[in-house]
Amino acid sequence: MIPGRRLDDLDRDIRDHLERETQAYVERGMTEDEARYAARRAFGNVTLAMEETRAVWIPVWFDQLLQDVRYGLRMLRRAPGFSAVVILTLALGIGLNTAVFSVFDAVLLRPLPYPAADRLLSVSLYGAALPFGMEAVGSADVLRWREQATSSFEKLAAYDTSDQSVVTADSAEQARIAWVTDDLWDIAGARVKLGRLPHPGERDALLLSHEYFSRRFRGDANVVGSSVLAMGRQVTIIGVIAKGFLFELPGLQRQLVPAPVDGYRSMVISPGPRPASLLLNVVARLKPGATIARARAELEAVRAGIAQADPFPLADRSTLRVMPMQERIVGESRAALRVLLAAVIVVLLIASANIANLLLARASARQKEIAIRASMGAGGARLLRQFAVESGIIALAGGGAGVWFARAGLIWLERVNPLAIPRLAEASIDGRVLVFALSASVVTAILFGVGPALGLRRVNVHHTLKENGRLSPVPGHLLLRRILVAVEVALALILICGAGLMVKSVWRMRAHPDGFVPDQIVVMKMRLSGPGYATPLARRAYADEVLARLRTQPGVQAAGITTNVDALVRMLIEGEAPIPNDVRSPPAVFNATSAGFLPAMGLRLLKGRWITDSEPRPAVVINESAAQRALPGQDPIGKRLMLPTLNQPLPSPVPIVGVVADLKYSKLDARPEPEIYIPYVYAPTLTAFSVVARAGGDPAALTPSIRSAVAGIDKTLPVFGVMTLEQVLTASIAPRRFNLFLLGIFAGSALLLAVIGIYGVIAFSVAQRTHEIGVRLALGAQRRAVVGMVVWQCMAVVLGGIAVGVAGALALTRVMMGMLYDVAPTDPPTFAIVTGLLAATALAACAGPALKAALVDPVVALRCE
Amino acid sequence: MSTRDDDARVELLQGTLDLLILRTLQQSPAHGHEIMTSIRQSSDEVLQVEQGSLYPALHRLLKKGWIVFDHGTSENNRRAKYYRLTPKGRKQLAAEATKWEKLARAIARVLRPA
Repeated sequence: MIPGRRLDDLDRDIRDHLERETQAYVERGMTEDEARYAARRAFGNVTLAMEETRAVWIPVWFDQLLQDVRYGLRMLRRAPGFSAVVILTLALGIGLNTAVFSVFDAVLLRPLPYPAADRLLSVSLYGAALPFGMEAVGSADVLRWREQATSSFEKLAAYDTSDQSVVTADSAEQARIAWVTDDLWDIAGARVKLGRLPHPGERDALLLSHEYFSRRFRGDANVVGSSVLAMGRQVTIIGVIAKGFLFELPGLQRQLVPAPVDGYRSMVISPGPRPASLLLNVVARLKPGATIARARAELEAVRAGIAQADPFPLADRSTLRVMPMQERIVGESRAALRVLLAAVIVVLLIASANIANLLLARASARQKEIAIRASMGAGGARLLRQFAVESGIIALAGGGAGVWFARAGLIWLERVNPLAIPRLAEASIDGRVLVFALSASVVTAILFGVGPALGLRRVNVHHTLKENGRLSPVPGHLLLRRILVAVEVALALILICGAGLMVKSVWRMRAHPDGFVPDQIVVMKMRLSGPGYATPLARRAYADEVLARLRTQPGVQAAGITTNVDALVRMLIEGEAPIPNDVRSPPAVFNATSAGFLPAMGLRLLKGRWITDSEPRPAVVINESAAQRALPGQDPIGKRLMLPTLNQPLPSPVPIVGVVADLKYSKLDARPEPEIYIPYVYAPTLTAFSVVARAGGDPAALTPSIRSAVAGIDKTLPVFGVMTLEQVLTASIAPRRFNLFLLGIFAGSALLLAVIGIYGVIAFSVAQRTHEIGVRLALGAQRRAVVGMVVWQCMAVVLGGIAVGVAGALALTRVMMGMLYDVAPTDPPTFAIVTGLLAATALAACAGPALKAALVDPVVALRCE
Repeated sequence: MSTRDDDARVELLQGTLDLLILRTLQQSPAHGHEIMTSIRQSSDEVLQVEQGSLYPALHRLLKKGWIVFDHGTSENNRRAKYYRLTPKGRKQLAAEATKWEKLARAIARVLRPA
């Protein structure tokens, strides 16, 4: 039975009862009026009786809660502007926090999306032999570890990724292929949607990612079993990996393998002729109960046994690193994410201060209403609950809107900057995040909504009701509100300082030398594969043809090619003995370039000459860093470097003919590395290279024509990675831009909230003082003096906040050290600009109320008594 | 709730109203006012029921399932709710009445020792 139904005609029943009773009294001889009165008396309090009856069916608290909710909604509707500001403020605070928390949760707290993720280890070698902070393992190590280190490890797999052309009957296209050994399937818990996983030891088997299968092969299941040409070899497509599988493992350059991986190719490591030359990544799964320390010791023992026999220089000049895979993947994001989480909590604090502020103002305005309710018998607890319910409504509305914002923001972040943080793609608004958002909003709203109500309990009912129209501020409220605003200003200042430091960092990174104009430089990559390019001569002929076509391309000012010749060499000067781990024989990036590379790139020649395309014999140009590290204080021109060259696989002396200035053209936030340039005609290998072309005008207009000119030479060689150098550089600092972007949003929100807070307090205080200002003006006060009074009142609060904020920022920006580049965490110009900006904004915020105060008409102000 | 001037009238003990209602309805179904009048008359006007508390009591009994009501028409052709006992209510009345008599006897013994 529905309780509501039962109660429907309760009032009619009672009315009938009263009428019968009246009737009975009339029959006893009373007059109609007397009888009605007597019946009422006999019945007692009708309202109370109804409430008690309702209480039989509906718990009292629930009934009152409904009342409170209805009343709360009515109050919110009555002041739509106020409600909107409070709810949006909360939504902003909760939205930002929810988004950041969901990223924090996905990246740092949740285990990797692989089975037994807590037992997955990353095994790598690092050290002087591997520059750029590269971490890798030689394939010989992998082979022996897998055979011998079996007491700690259940599985040990190696992988690497590369961009390869995948040629089908109809088209050639570049695809990102992961080479993986058999055990990886088990470690990653991969399942196939179609076909099968490779058999142990099976070579040249290719599995497609679900996305690549849908995109390139249009989901045609017949493709399984067919064969394609990948890196010049026929491979068989044996299956399609199930949807949702994420290949999120670190690559050789420490960051994650850039997603998405299009295909997985089986790799079999065999003790072949040059076993140690392959650089691989290793992921391993511990046996249950095994410790990292024991695993590490076991790997070291195996390495020690093979160190002598291994000709590869990795073995003796590197250190073994064994760490949990999760730590390896996300460890470097931790510091930045913590800073972001702290920053976003500060935004929530500012939002809370604002909400408290607004509710305090409202509480002052509602004194009369409260006094009336109190005089009608509402107890303190009941009044408090009314405020709690109103806060709860705000919490739900604000929190709901916040979660919605967070969801939209996350989707947008993942689309715009998916590689900025490892595992970002895993972030979503799930149950955990919802619980977080809900509790954050409820705590915020209740804490800051009920607080003001506590102040109201001191309100003198008698006094308030007597005072007609004009409201005196609740004792202590105005001071409290000013303190809140000062705190907001201080917190906002800290955030804006942080954002300012990051802006300056990026600005410093982008301070390019004269002549280097990355947005005018178009780069694209080529890879020579297939039987047609087996010989060095064929490869060189192709490169020559590319250069010839580029030279005649209209709109191209200069063009060249460059390649990293199989990574790195050690810089050995002829006649000097190599000293292990010596800074004087550092590893250098070994580039093979054409003559056009220097003008196309805007590289500056410091000494000697640049290389030409028709050098009669090998010659080499080095950069400033290389000169300083290998030949400090000496003239490098004429010295000879021991380098492998075409037809000379063993290092032979090559004269240094020039020195060029350092230029950061691949990674903006890294220190320049030593670099060596030899003419491409003498490159020991030339299997892949980048084309660099400097556009006279708009590079976007140039790109298609260069692309088609180069692609026209050989249609089976796809041109890929076509970008301006500006785009390459921007991508190289994606994590920093991500941090800057978020911190910028936080700082902007903080500033906005602080301005709202300042405006709110000053406008309210001006409104309260209208009468007083009217009196002053009537007594002859200058309007200018009134403006000064209001502005000073405002700026006193702001300056107090700024002073505290600067002190706080000086103490706190230190935690951002790792996020900054070439900027001190207490950079005075940044602090000065931020402080000035904040003060100016605050001044603008109180200009409105000040003006309003100046325009008070004394006659009107005094009459409104 | 207010004290009455008349010493001869006794206020009901907590919970006894339920028993009296059940007892009244045992004879015949009745509407609210009839129950009231009946209690007053059968106690020779001694028991004063605050009439307002009748309705919460009726709804308590409805909720427990001891009584139900039908819509009927009263003497002067007005619609009214006629409450009547359910079998469960009848059982409850018997139990309560026995308990009450025991209690009354016990109290009487204490007050007037033989």
